[in-house]
Amino acid sequence: MSTPDCRHARLHIGAAPHELPAEVTSHLAGCAECRRFHDETVSLDARLRSALEVPLSRFRQPPPRTRRFALAASVVLALLVAGGAWLLNPRPALAGDVASHVIHEAGSWDKQQVLSGADIDAVLHQAGVKYDSSMPVVYAMACPFHGRQVPHLVVQTAEGPMTVMLLMHEKIAARSEFSEHGFRGVLLPAGDGAVAVLSRGAAPSESLQREIVAGVN
Amino acid sequence: MKPAPRGTTGAAPFTRLLEMLRPDLLRFACWLARDRSVAEDVVQETLIRAWRSREELKDPAAARPWLFTIARREHARLYERKRLPTVDVDSVEALGDPALASEGDAALHDLRGAIMQLPDEYREPLVMQVLGGFSTAEIAGELGLTQAAVLTRLFRARNRLRTIYGLEPAEDVE
Repeated sequence: MSTPDCRHARLHIGAAPHELPAEVTSHLAGCAECRRFHDETVSLDARLRSALEVPLSRFRQPPPRTRRFALAASVVLALLVAGGAWLLNPRPALAGDVASHVIHEAGSWDKQQVLSGADIDAVLHQAGVKYDSSMPVVYAMACPFHGRQVPHLVVQTAEGPMTVMLLMHEKIAARSEFSEHGFRGVLLPAGDGAVAVLSRGAAPSESLQREIVAGVN
Repeated sequence: MKPAPRGTTGAAPFTRLLEMLRPDLLRFACWLARDRSVAEDVVQETLIRAWRSREELKDPAAARPWLFTIARREHARLYERKRLPTVDVDSVEALGDPALASEGDAALHDLRGAIMQLPDEYREPLVMQVLGGFSTAEIAGELGLTQAAVLTRLFRARNRLRTIYGLEPAEDVE
């Protein structure tokens, strides 16, 4: 770094590469060294964003919950009355784990060919799960998840492809929506376990959720 | 009789909005607190405060920065009120799942570890900027600093991370 202009430019580039003042942008046009520094910093920032958007499951879970500080009983009651009871349920890491799993099978979304009943049955049998899908299944795999084999399906629906994971060994108290890694999804109680439904677009509608869960019941 | 709540501030839409943003909020709090259980307490308090103040949120599109701001203040308040011990950087173990670490990108894992070990004064504005989407002016306003001070902190934060990313550190700024 040689000139005051370069020092000024690098301060801004290093601090806020996506928020550069006009004089720094002008400086970049004529300074190859600072342009290289800018390119490096933008590249670093992309990695930085990926690093910060860490799956929640990567943050160590706290031990069984003992509240560090009590909530005033009146506030709790007010929230319960107001329908905010969900606030008191510790969010399961399950949603993050499901999304992390799905993100590693990105190719599953692009499948088009409808699988035969025998193919699907083989996967369900491998996982020891019964499921009757009313919708075409284009991907089926028994995947290791939380120490078990679970069916990972992609079904074609009127709302687009949806990933369905049949988590029959996971207990959840209530339906909960989530948004993780760009997926919108919902965890649903189903039978003795749970079903996760994920979309790359809008969250699955309630009618679709009911239809998917019906396959378990 | 009180009028029925409308728009974002109605109980059901507001609850859905909070549910949707909760993972991002928890992630933000985890990076601030470097401790998931503290982060969950911060988020819990944040959601309660947000619920009480929901009339203030006029535009649902502004919910994310609004919640992040509440969370940051709640985190600061928690440390002031409880005098929680600061985290020893040598014992930071927030990213402790070895199975996932080996499955993923080792360089990314190292970068996460380096972010975790940044001093609070560097990590906080960086997380606010990159994860929260705050501008440097907004960060300055929120942290009670000059914009120049925020620029310096952000520059130094990134400069410490450059080496982890395989780049030479830049010359420090005054």
